[in-house]
This record gives sequence, structure tokens and C-alpha cells, in this order.
Amino acid sequence: MKGVFEMENVLEVKELSKQYAKVLAVEKVSFEIGKGEIFALIGPNGAGKTTTIRMISTLLTATSGDAVIDGHSILKEPEKVRECITYLPDEAGAYKNMTGIAYLKFMAGLFYTDPDKISECIERAKGICKLGDRLNDKIGSYSRGMTRKLLLSRAVMTKPKLAILDEPTSGLDVINALEIRKTIKQLAKEDGISFLLSSHNMLEIEFVSDRVGIIAKGHLMTTGRSSELKQRYGAENLEEVFEKVVFENEIR
Amino acid sequence: MKFVNLLMKELKELINVQMILSLVIVLSMFGIMGNVMNGAIDDASEEMTHPKINISDCDDTELTQSIVEMLKSSKAEVKVFDIDSEDYADILNSNGLKSMVIIPEGFTESVNNGEKAQLITVSKLKSASAMANVSSGSDGATELIKKVVTNIVAEGAGISKEQLELIENPVETSENTVVGDKSASIPLNNVLGKITMQNTVLPIIVFMLIVMTSQSLVNSISSEKIDKTLETLLSTPVTRTAIITAKMLAAAIVALINAGAMTFGVSNLMKTSTSQLAEGVSGAVGQYLSADEAINALGLNLSAVDYLLVGLQLFLTIMICLSVSIMLGALVNDTKSSQTVIMPLMILAIVPYIISMLADINALPTVIRIVVYAIPFTHTFSAMQNLMFGNTSLFLIGAVYQLIVFLVCMFFALRLFSSDKILTVSLNFGQKSKYKKKAVSEE
Repeated sequence: MKGVFEMENVLEVKELSKQYAKVLAVEKVSFEIGKGEIFALIGPNGAGKTTTIRMISTLLTATSGDAVIDGHSILKEPEKVRECITYLPDEAGAYKNMTGIAYLKFMAGLFYTDPDKISECIERAKGICKLGDRLNDKIGSYSRGMTRKLLLSRAVMTKPKLAILDEPTSGLDVINALEIRKTIKQLAKEDGISFLLSSHNMLEIEFVSDRVGIIAKGHLMTTGRSSELKQRYGAENLEEVFEKVVFENEIR
Repeated sequence: MKFVNLLMKELKELINVQMILSLVIVLSMFGIMGNVMNGAIDDASEEMTHPKINISDCDDTELTQSIVEMLKSSKAEVKVFDIDSEDYADILNSNGLKSMVIIPEGFTESVNNGEKAQLITVSKLKSASAMANVSSGSDGATELIKKVVTNIVAEGAGISKEQLELIENPVETSENTVVGDKSASIPLNNVLGKITMQNTVLPIIVFMLIVMTSQSLVNSISSEKIDKTLETLLSTPVTRTAIITAKMLAAAIVALINAGAMTFGVSNLMKTSTSQLAEGVSGAVGQYLSADEAINALGLNLSAVDYLLVGLQLFLTIMICLSVSIMLGALVNDTKSSQTVIMPLMILAIVPYIISMLADINALPTVIRIVVYAIPFTHTFSAMQNLMFGNTSLFLIGAVYQLIVFLVCMFFALRLFSSDKILTVSLNFGQKSKYKKKAVSEE
């Protein structure tokens, strides 16, 4: 699937594997993401999406293989990697006793020490989350949708090379989910931020991502644009593609 | 700079309204306890200096009348009652009295016949509390009556006042206390009373600090894990060591604030009660040194260096708590467990706390002594005593042992925090955790 995007790769994952005590959770997963590209990992629960994402975010150590982000290896230079990525975990919360604005300031302060840079980040986040005066309220009083918007704006306020979002819209109502999807698309287009998403909502993926990778039982089965995959598998939608890929794998 | 940012966030999380409120409550509890104790002691000393004597003279002779007059001319507040029944409960209750002395009919007759005369005292037991039942009025009255009767009996037998005095107190004791190679002229109990009070203050503070500090760090780490803010933090460009150090430092600062406030509260409470009791004691034994003088003479007083060493030991204790709490916090995946997970630490603190209050650890059988000394917190509880009694080597061994325990715990805590385990490990109390489920499903 290489060369779909004729541009430099922000992320190159090379045969990444993760062995837990008894089970091989992810085996030799390889893919890449270009600048400003939105790539989605889709797969059933327990397929290895979160483990892959956690390895790329330097939270878990890969058993073998490597991933290179903006020229930095997750194994050799995890600190450098963390400077150019942001990660939004699945069902993440924020510090409930902090106000929205204090949270943004705190998080920006972990990336920059220059006060001007920090204020710049906060301003950007304010513009993206559109929470207005509610930013002065404690996060504990926010609705789920508001919290997610705050967290998403936090994840992109530093203009990372790669924003990694695990199930960014899970548990949200249609309106909030739509807004988040739109924001992601807009940020990729306007700011050139690359996104690595994970989801099991096929509809969302078809709408938001440039390319998808289908992962099942720790193996990356196939990658490609939604349209390509639909054509390749003779399917009407991604859901059908997904079903066929997983079914094929089981027969094999 | 990034570290300061982390530290400030941790401090803001810990120093919140709840923390200030609980500290205020603890301090005001100490205040209330102090007031209650002061009130009880005031009552007791008031009773001692101006006893209330309730007396009923059923004999009504010249002798008994003169006894009542003598009581009235003393410092005591004397009330005379006429009673006509033998229902003592009814007598006390209907008159609202705590105690009463009854001179029964035939009292003078017995005295005059050279027989043992009978005197009746009735006291009311109101509660199990020691202070609430202090009522020395009747005791004083009985003593006085006994003395008067003794004099009459002695006079009748032709014994002079001097002879009587000798018969009553034929031996005079001069009590001395020895500590190490020093001695002072003071009864052992007077010294013990004073230093026991001193040694009660530290254990209370240490125990509360161990519990509060461990709980706050366990909560801090477990709530970050549950809310997944820990994952977010770990993916930012700060080292894991910086994150853990900020958390520990913030918890240590809060522990210091708590320790300061509690020392203030407890020592105030102790000071008011001990000084009042001490006054009573030194007044009673005029021929002896005061407790403070004796403590100085016996070398039991602590120097500034000693206090510094106690502080050092306290610091090591807190550091052990913090390093263990990091590991415990990492094991917890739900809020319920975070409350119970510090139980092992509490048990490790409460065992030496109770033992150090009740017994001399050095005098315990060897096996038990080794077990007790293996608990790192034992050395904190025994630190003050060891310094007080000049067991410097024992103190130093304890401090070195605590340092080793801290380094070992910290090594494992750092290893846990810098490995995958910080996200995958979990301790379940019968239920499958969110994390374990996830890990299994991922597999």
C-alpha cells in the first residue's frame, strides 16, 4: 500500500510485535502514515489496536520490530518521539478538580517551557474546543462531549507531527461525534497534522480516514483507502470489507 | 521548569479543600480534647483544693458536732444533711450529690468505749471515665475524722502527740531514680509520668502521618490510572522519573505540613495537661526535684541534635511509605481498592505503635524482637526512646536499616513505574479489573 500518498512519511511502523506473558498480542505489524494523512486502525475488541497504539506512543515496549516517527525510533529515542506526538487514550478523563483552562496550561507546560509558546497553545486549544467561558469551570462539571472536545483540543494544540487517538468518539452522541470528526479532518487538512485513529465504528472510519488498516488477532490483514478496499473485496461498505477480511483470516 | 509544572499540579491536587478541611477538623478535635481534658483536670484539682463535703450527723453528740465544726473551718465546702432513711441511692439522687459521709448513731459511744467506731461513706459511680469519678471530698472528710478519733484514742491511752506521729510514720523514704550512670532524687513514677507523656506525642503523629501520606499517594496514582490521565502524562515529553519524583515530593511536602500542624496540635494538648498535672505532683512532693529538673539531671532531655535525628528518622519513614505507596497505587484499578490497599502499611505501623507503648522492645524474647525490629516503622517509634536512653548505636542501626528498606522499595517502585507493568499490572479483590480484561482481550 506504500506510495498512496506521495509525500514524506511521518510514521513508519516496521514489523512491530508485542509478546505478553503467554500470548503474542501483536505480530509483525507494518504500516506507514504520510504528512497530513488520517490513518485508522479498525478491528474487533482485543484485536491488538490499543497495544499497537500504546507501543507507538512509547507507553509499552515493543518485543521486536520498530516504529519511526519523524525520524526518531520509538526504541532508541522515546523522549524525542514524545516531543512530536500526542496521545488521547480510549475513554480518557482529565483532572476533575482542575478548570479546563488550567488543564490546557498544565499540559502545554509539559511540552514547552517558553510562556509565549504555552499561551499560543492555549489560544489554539480554545479556538478548537469552542468551550468559551466554560473553560473557567472545573472539568468535573463537564459533560462527556465537552470533556472529549477539551481533550481533543489538548491533543492537537501543540501541533504534533502525529496525533494518536484511541476511539476518539466512543460513547459520544451523534452531534458531538460529528463535530469531533469534522475537527480532525480540518486539522489534517489545514495544519498538516497526521492522525492515527483506532475505532470499531466503520461508518466513522469511512467518513474521516484517508486510509484504513484492518487488524484482527494481532495481525494487520490489509491496508488501503476505503474505496480501494471496497473494490478489492467486492463490498458495498467498509463493514462488509471488514467481515470478509476477518472471515478469510479465520478460514486460513 | 517542566518539573515545577508537574510539582505544582500535584500540590494543587493534594492541597485541596478536603485536605484543609480534614486538617482543620483534626486540629479542632485536638482543641476540643484539650478543653475537655483541661475541664476534667480543673474539676479534679478544684475538688482537691476545695473539696465538697456532704455530711450527715446521725449521732449528734458533742464529739460529732465538733467534728462537723472542724470540717467547716477547713478549706472544704461543707453541707450538712439530715437523713431519715438507709436508702443511700435515694439520698444521693434526691439531693443531687456525688458522695456523702454519714456518722451513724452510736459513733461516739463506740469511741468512748474504746471500740472500733463505724463511719459510712456513699459514693456515686457515674461513668467508666477515670476523671469523671474523681471526688476527694469524702476521702478528706474520712481522713480528718479518723485523725480526730485517733487523737482521742491516743489521749485516752496516754500516748503523746510526738509518740503518735512516730507510730503513724515510723519510716521515712528518700526515693531516687537512676538512668545509666546518673541518678536524681525523684520518685521513679514522677519521671515516668513525664516521659511517657512525651513519648505518646510522637507515635500519634507518626501513625497519622503514615496513614495520611500513604493514602494520598495511593489515591493520586490510582485515580490517574483509573481516569487514564496517567497514560496521557506518560506520553508527554517528560521522563517517568520526573513524574514519580513530582508525586513523591508533593506528598512529602503535604506530609510536612500535616506533621507541623499535628505536632502543634498534639503538643499543645499534651502541654496543657502535663503542666497542670506536673504542678500537682511537684507541689505534693516538695522535697524532691521537679520532673523537668530531674529529667535534665538524668540526661533524659533531648538536645537539638537529637531532635534533628528524630526528624531524619521520620523523614526516612515517610520516604518508605511513599515508595511502597507508589507500588500499591500502581496495583489499584478501582477506587474501592485504593481504600483497602494501604491496610498492610497500616498494620505494619500499628503493631510497633502498640508494642512500643506497652513494652520495652529490647526486653522481648529474641524471636519476637527480631520480627518486630524487621518492621521498618518500629525504628521510628523507638527512635526517641533510644536517643533518650543513650542507645545511639541502636538508633543508628535502625536508621541505616530504614535507609536500606527505602532504597530497596524505591528501586522496585522505579522499576515498576518505568516498565510496561505500570499500565498492565493490577490487583483484584475478587473482581476482574478493567485493565486485566483489556490486557486479556488484547491478547
